[in-house]
Amino acid sequence: MDTINISWSAFIAGYALLIIPLAILLWYRVPIIKESAIAVVRMTVQLLFVGLYLQYIFNLNSFWINGLWLVVMTVVADVSIIRGVGLRMRRFAWPVFISLLIGTAIPLTFFVGLILKRPHLLDAQYAIPIGGMILGNCLRADIIGIRGFYKSVRKSEKRYLLSLAQGARLREAVMPFVRDAYRDSLMPTVATISTIGLVSLPGMMTGVILGGASPMVAIKYQVAIMIAIVTGTVITVSMAITLTLKSSFTRYGVLDKDIFV
Amino acid sequence: MKNNAVEISGLALTFDGRRILDDISFCVPVGARVSLTGPSGSGKSSILRAVMGFIQPTAGEIFVEGEEVDASSIWRLRGRLAFVQQEPDLGEGRVAEILQKPFSYKINSNIEYDSGRSESLFDELLLQRSLLEKDAATLSGGEKQRVAIVSAILLNRDIYLLDEVTSALDAESKKAVADFFRRANNITVLSVSHDRNGVFFPDNNIEIC
Repeated sequence: MDTINISWSAFIAGYALLIIPLAILLWYRVPIIKESAIAVVRMTVQLLFVGLYLQYIFNLNSFWINGLWLVVMTVVADVSIIRGVGLRMRRFAWPVFISLLIGTAIPLTFFVGLILKRPHLLDAQYAIPIGGMILGNCLRADIIGIRGFYKSVRKSEKRYLLSLAQGARLREAVMPFVRDAYRDSLMPTVATISTIGLVSLPGMMTGVILGGASPMVAIKYQVAIMIAIVTGTVITVSMAITLTLKSSFTRYGVLDKDIFV
Repeated sequence: MKNNAVEISGLALTFDGRRILDDISFCVPVGARVSLTGPSGSGKSSILRAVMGFIQPTAGEIFVEGEEVDASSIWRLRGRLAFVQQEPDLGEGRVAEILQKPFSYKINSNIEYDSGRSESLFDELLLQRSLLEKDAATLSGGEKQRVAIVSAILLNRDIYLLDEVTSALDAESKKAVADFFRRANNITVLSVSHDRNGVFFPDNNIEIC
């Protein structure tokens, strides 16, 4: 089985399908037509660029260029997370970057090196899509986890200060909030895992099937990626909280409100 | 200086860029029961929060049992202080679990939770023992205040900083709480109130204007 190519004329013709949603939106005068049009144009331009340089990266398949590409993806995820959580870039950019890098590198190395047994750990065909999937999921989980942690400490300040008043050290006082942050950040992934395949075919599996592999091969990839995602999520959320903890609280153990934008 | 449980010297506090207290000095001797009164917004509660290290003075010094409060000493000093807030947030779970939680902190490892003592304190502060098994979220404001007081007493601290702790209590419960702190041995109490009826120790009153 081979993946059938979409010719450029057929690709352009594909946009014709948009006539249906456009007609419905116009009929109901839904005020989202301009935004939708901009989104479609943006998507096309972004993906064409991504397609172009990924093609270039895949052709070169150099360890250093692939590694650099993963670092660039990590930086983009880092900036999106900190913007998404509403915290100060200057104080969070570096620790969240380190967390993402390690949280992605560990499951990626395990997946590509041990499960797929690729001699070239940063083989573009595997490392870039798998790394991207782990990173994308870590991004979502980190936003929920980091934002949940700092916002709940701020919201439940009295409860937090009561723990300090009762003699808790910083780590003891933040522990209930850390637990909640882990739970909240993992919940969407756990929910996805438990219903996977029942509601819709997951992305990785669909990709592998479209790539020409059998459904059994596809589910092996899917299970492995879900395990990699859970691992990456827990590593990044725990590292991000641990690495930002000291600088986000005063030396007296009180949350520094200056961390919020 | 060691004869003072709390000593405040030339204290100035700022909140949101506004100076709320300026050049406040007073001492609370070991074993004393002192009331701190003054109108709402006069900064009384902020003094207690500054003693606990929750806010930092812009000028002046605070000493607890002769030791200056700073970023390194405060972690140790909190082991000698008890702070009860006006509207305590006890957290989630059964009341008995909430009372046991602080005993898991390293600083409290030399003391053990005594369920018999918590029951007798419940009796003394006119709380029903059945509340121990209830979810803390279902308690009334007055019950929460007294559970917070019991929690502080169970930790055997030397110095009690009470911030309007009877504001949600009826007259009978207020008297039970005040009687407890008047009678208890080997403790120092600094109690804040803006309401004249809430003053625990009218004979020993410091007024903040």
